[in-house]
Amino acid sequence: MLEVQNLVKAYGDLRVLDNVSARIENGRILVIIGLNGSGKSTLLKVITGILPCDNGCVRIDGQDVTSLEPEDRKIGYVPQSTALFNHLTVRENIIYSQKNGRGSPDGFEAVVSMLNLRGYLSKKPKELSGGYRARVALARALYSQPSVMLLDEPLTEIDHAKKEQMLPEFKQVLHQLNIPVLYITHDPREAELIGDAFAVMYDGKLKTIGTTEEAFEIIRAQVLAGAGIA
Amino acid sequence: MAGNLMRKVSLIELLFVPFFLLLIVYPIAAIIFNLTPAGIAKTFADPLFWTSVGSTILTAFFAALMGLALALGFGYYYIFRKGTVMYRVADFLNDLPIALPHTVAGLALLLAFGRKAFGFAGPTGLAFTLFAVTLAMFFVSYPLAARTIASGADEIEREVIDVARTLGDSTTRAYQRVVIPLMGEGIISAFILSFSRSISEFAAVIMFGGNVPGQTQVLASYVFTKVEEGEVAMAVTASAFCILIALFLVVGLRMRGKFHA
Ligand SMILES: Nc1ncnc2c1ncn2[C@@H]1O[C@H](COP(=O)(O)OP(=O)(O)O)[C@@H](O)[C@H]1O
Ligand SMILES: [Mg+2]
Repeated sequence: MLEVQNLVKAYGDLRVLDNVSARIENGRILVIIGLNGSGKSTLLKVITGILPCDNGCVRIDGQDVTSLEPEDRKIGYVPQSTALFNHLTVRENIIYSQKNGRGSPDGFEAVVSMLNLRGYLSKKPKELSGGYRARVALARALYSQPSVMLLDEPLTEIDHAKKEQMLPEFKQVLHQLNIPVLYITHDPREAELIGDAFAVMYDGKLKTIGTTEEAFEIIRAQVLAGAGIA
Repeated sequence: MAGNLMRKVSLIELLFVPFFLLLIVYPIAAIIFNLTPAGIAKTFADPLFWTSVGSTILTAFFAALMGLALALGFGYYYIFRKGTVMYRVADFLNDLPIALPHTVAGLALLLAFGRKAFGFAGPTGLAFTLFAVTLAMFFVSYPLAARTIASGADEIEREVIDVARTLGDSTTRAYQRVVIPLMGEGIISAFILSFSRSISEFAAVIMFGGNVPGQTQVLASYVFTKVEEGEVAMAVTASAFCILIALFLVVGLRMRGKFHA
């Protein structure tokens, strides 16, 4: 279980996270929808420990990890850019965490077949298409046997047809882990296909919602209000 | 073709070309044109010349290695410890030597590691040894290496380092496993730049390492000595030799596409 409580993060006067709270049970995928610049990536970076927060706390399976370094949090993180290690092969990317005592040979076989990466293991990331880079980034995080998965718009480089094909597969893979998953997107269709629950982020605030339609009503209202129309 | 000949020449071009040719190209050419067969023969027959060539390459090589090693330490602060006082001091001191006469750098080293401080190493401490020459070269070339490493680090996508952390790497491990391998070219550039800077150093080397022919004399000080002795033809030959080495280094840097010093 992942819980964040009253997270605050500010850059000068700009409150990028303004008292964000959320809770995700094991085996559930929470999708956060929001416009660019609404603070989504910042939220994930605070949860991973890469960015310190000004206030609030992060709990994983009941343990307060707020003051732990990123390497001690056991969080699987797929950043917005996929951020593969270009100097390593696909295989070396996936088992990167092995040297830090994570993952297992069985786990490696499992993620490779789950994500259909068998034929790509000795390639370098630069030889891969966007879709395969996303698969490797996911595989690398899954291999490390995390207690939480955070994905920041992992499929931005991929076209809609491809997404329709990959998302059900990703959803199945993520459900099998039985850990909390936080998935960020600004594509409503993507949210629909991957999510079990939804939340919308605007102006650094997070609001849980029932359906993706609600997200867009809230965002539209925000945009209109921001433009001084509503 | 007519269009080419008639191309309008701007005022800037009119000013740049003659000044550049007169003040930059002409002096270099002067060295080459003053080379004489007799001077070349006499210099190449001088064992002290070859000792200074050997000393120059040896000391510059180790100075560059030390410079690179310390610069990689600075790179760690640049990436992971930017908020610290240590980083700010180190960053500030990278720029300071630009405005500092290198005689001052040499004097500083002499006071720090010369007789009074390190008397146990001999009557003059570490001063006036090849090690002193190396330290002097290192002192003036390290900031260049550090800045090259910092700009190499800027090319690395931050999220790649962040992901390594979430996969269990401490900052030190992420630096070794991700930053250094991805910096490849920057590391080579930093080495070549500090090697070049080391070879070209004269003032700090002479102050701290001295100019003992056959011992601590390097090419820069050999040229100086020969001019003082009135052996201009020999000084010209040694200088042409320096230009040749510099050419090799600049070509080496150009091939890395990172010459910005
Ligand atoms: N290092 C920083 N310094 C100042 N402002 C920042 C910094 N990083 C992000 N921001 C600002 O924080 C806001 C949220 O950014 P981000 O979390 O990346 O949004 P999203 O992922 O939702 O697009 C943006 O307005 C961005 O400009
Ligand atoms: Mg983002």
